[in-house]
Parts: sequence; C-alpha cells; structure tokens
Amino acid sequence: MSFASSLLRRVEIFAQRHAQTVGYGVITLLMIYLWVPILTIALMSFTSGSAMSFPPTSLSLKWYEAFLTNPKALTAVWTTLRVGAIVTPLTVVIATMLSWAIDRYAFRGKNVLQLLVTLPLIIPLIVIGIALTMFFGILNVDSGFWTIVAGHTLRALPFATLIILPTLLTFDNRLEEASMDLGANEFETFLQVTLPNIYQGIFAGALMAFTISFNEFVVTYFVKGTLSTTFPTWIWSMIRHRVTPEVNAASVVFLLVATALILLAVSLTHVERITMQE
Amino acid sequence: MMVGLSFLEELPPAPITLDNYAILFTNSVYLDTIWQTVVITLETTAIALVLGYVLAYSIVRFTRRTFALLLLVILPFWTNYIVRMFAWINILQEGGLLDSVLQFLHIVNGSVGLLYSHEAVLVGFVYVYLPLATITFYASLSNLNPHLIEASKDLGAGPIKTFFKITLPMTLNGVTAGIVLVMIPVFGAFVTPTMLGGVNTTMIGMVIETQFTESFNWPFGATLSVVVSAVVVLVLVGSYLGGGNVMGLGGEEE
Repeated sequence: MSFASSLLRRVEIFAQRHAQTVGYGVITLLMIYLWVPILTIALMSFTSGSAMSFPPTSLSLKWYEAFLTNPKALTAVWTTLRVGAIVTPLTVVIATMLSWAIDRYAFRGKNVLQLLVTLPLIIPLIVIGIALTMFFGILNVDSGFWTIVAGHTLRALPFATLIILPTLLTFDNRLEEASMDLGANEFETFLQVTLPNIYQGIFAGALMAFTISFNEFVVTYFVKGTLSTTFPTWIWSMIRHRVTPEVNAASVVFLLVATALILLAVSLTHVERITMQE
Repeated sequence: MMVGLSFLEELPPAPITLDNYAILFTNSVYLDTIWQTVVITLETTAIALVLGYVLAYSIVRFTRRTFALLLLVILPFWTNYIVRMFAWINILQEGGLLDSVLQFLHIVNGSVGLLYSHEAVLVGFVYVYLPLATITFYASLSNLNPHLIEASKDLGAGPIKTFFKITLPMTLNGVTAGIVLVMIPVFGAFVTPTMLGGVNTTMIGMVIETQFTESFNWPFGATLSVVVSAVVVLVLVGSYLGGGNVMGLGGEEE
C-alpha cells in the first residue's frame, strides 16, 4: 500500500461518514449568502435616519412615504407598468405563433428559427442594447417609450417561447382531430379545445414576459433616450447620484412584486424552466 | 434580434477603417481592461462552478425538500439585478453590515472597506450567477440515474471515486452549459463592476457603456462590442467542441 492510496482510502471513509453533514453545511451557508443581502435591504428600508449605516437606529415608514409621494418615482413606475402592459400581450402572441409554427409545420429553416429564438438568451445584454441603439439610430427612430417596448419584447420573447413551446409539444393533437370530426370548424376547435389545454403555458409565458419587462435594465438603459425613465433606470440614477433610504423602500417594492409574480409562475410551470435572466 | 446584431458586425465607421481595432489592440489601457475582464470572468466562473455544483449536488443527494430549496435559490435570482447589487453596496460599504458584524465579533476594528475592489466585484458576480449555475447543474444531476451510483458503490468504489468516475462524467454536459451561461454574461457585464468595482476595476462592458453614453464614440463602442461578440462565439464553439449542447438548454431536451 503506497502512501497515496492509503490517503485516498481515508478520504473515502471520511466522505462516506460525513458527506451528509458537509452537504447540509453547504446548503445552509449558501442560502445565507443568497438571502442576507435581500433581508438587509428589507430591514434598512425601515430606518428612520437618513444615513445608510447598519443597523438602523430606529424604525419608521417614512422612506416608504417619501417613495410613494415622489412624483418622479411614481412616473417611472407608471412607465414601467405601461411598457409591461404592451410587451406582455405582444410577446405572448408572437411566442405562441412561433411555437405553433415550430410544433405544427415542417418548413425550411425551422432549426435556424429555433436557434434564432434561443440565441438572445446567451448574447451579453450590452451587445443587444448596443445593436438596438445602432439599429434605431440608423432607422432614425426616436428613442423613447416605443423603443423600450421593442427592446423588452425582444428580451422576453425567448423566455416566453421556451415556456409556451413545450406546452404545445405535449398537447395531444388527436383532440383537435376528434373535435373536427365531430363537426367543429378550425376556429371553434382552437377556442374550445386547443386554447383551454394550452392556457396554463400561455399564462405562465405572459407572467414571465411581464416579469422580465418589469426588471429589465441594461437594454432599457441604452434604448430609452433622455426623456423616458423606467423603474429600474430610476433606481439606477438614484444610486449613481444621490442615495437615500428611499431607494431601499423602492427595492422592497421590487422584491415583493417579483416574488409574487414568480411564485405565481412557478405554481403554473416547472421550477427548472424559470432560470435565466440578468 | 439577429437583424440587429448582424447589423452591428457590418457597421463600419463611415469610411471603412481598421483604426479602431488598431487603437484597441495597441493602447495599453484597453489591453489592461480586456485582461482584467478575462481574469474576473474566469474567477467568477470557477467559483460559481464549484459552489453551484456542490449546492446542486447537496440538494439532489441529501435533502427531500428539493422544491422549497430550489425556490429559495431562484427567488433572489429574479429580484431586480440593480437592487441586488445595491444590497451588496449596503453590506460592503464602510459602516455597512459586514463591518458591523466583524466589529461586533471583535475580529477587526474600524473598516475592512471591501467596497470598490476586485473582491467586491467577484462577490457580486458570484451572487448573481450562483443560482443560474445551480439550476443548470441541478437539471443534469437530477436526470442522473441513481442506480448507477449504487452500482458503482456495490462494486467497491468509495464516494469520491464514484463521483469522479460516474457522477461528474455523466453530468459534464450540464457543467459545460453552466460554464457558458456564467461566462458569457459576466464577460459583457457593466452594472456590477460599475457599482461595486473601484476605479481600478474596469471591465470591457464599462468602456462600451461610456463610449455610448458619454463619449458618443459609437464606432469605437461597436468595435468593443464586436470583440465581446467574438469572445461569445469562441466560448460557444469551445463548448460545442467540448460536447455541450447549450442551444438545447431551454427545456427541449428534458
């Protein structure tokens, strides 16, 4: 027995005995790492002082009040909601049509289409942002509300498609045939047979699209122009120029909205699918 | 999307010239920036890879509350990026949470002043990409047939040997995907280094941002973006040669 192999044997025995303990330790430590920042910001939002030091000396709701009465903040939130209200249905319609085409028809370039839909997921956001800025610049489109809508739709589309497509792929097409055999036309079949079956996937896709639009920063930052401000770009400029605990309060609002949306989406689809976003 | 991107590659500075590339590759400031970006990207990827794999492995092998734990991993990930970075400013700044805790425990007096440093950027990046890596590894680890591990142990291999002979090779696809998914966005990032990094921690994304929002030197910004895109293509080709299937990631292969 060489020294190396006896050492290896000891390590093996140690692993055998303590793997579970080490595993629990890792889970605990990393959960702390993931959640301490979020809990910190939540706690700091209740400070009554104006300094950002930790821990807060006394608690109050005054920064929430400041946030909720700040017209600039409210305008930014309103803009974000309006963008989301357009991006969500737009994305869902395009994603459903794309998924439909990929699911139902064989055509040339189908693989390329699938590739093009997934590609934006792995291109750095800054490259997308700049490509769009140049694109709009050369087309002479003024930056503002509608360029933000276009950017967000582009960002949300791959995610929505990746959620809606599997729903269509697993849907049993024979149900449609049965419906048509029983005398329904194509439109009736779609409304009464197909839609009720793929509704959950579409709804999850819509939630995903809205969540992405709500949080989107990098692309927005490049295409927003000088006049429009969304909630994330407002927070960014606050942090860059004058930080007050108002930012913490706004962050908590963000946190709650995102959590609610994600919990809703998770309850409708598989956890593993909701993974990618910057 | 690709319309926009192909555009970018074709868009030359009005009279076609390679001057921008010449500036980029001869000016030591930019070379330093690229080097720093590469270092930070590799460090982040390595740390997120190890931590994410161990976390995913522990979740799959040692617990039953898989769903709850995955949810706890995902929720921070879906919280606004800027908010998360801001939280780290609160923790790392002078007099922030970290200082308070360390002082309370009498480990240090005064401030460790971690904010605006290379380490702060790493902490922030790992924080952002750990969930992504974990979920990717989780997907491939949970697809691994547990009988294979039992068989290996029945045949006399210990847990470590089993891990390196069975588990790791069988999940290599997921590992490659995880590497790509962390490496590419980190390489192009500008928010994290801007918020957490100091004047000495410049990444290529920050330079691109400045070219577009302050210097209005679009062609040079585009040059840098082309460099970033080229790196992305390199990473993708590398992962393809390494046997990873990143394009199939989105759930089609499940």
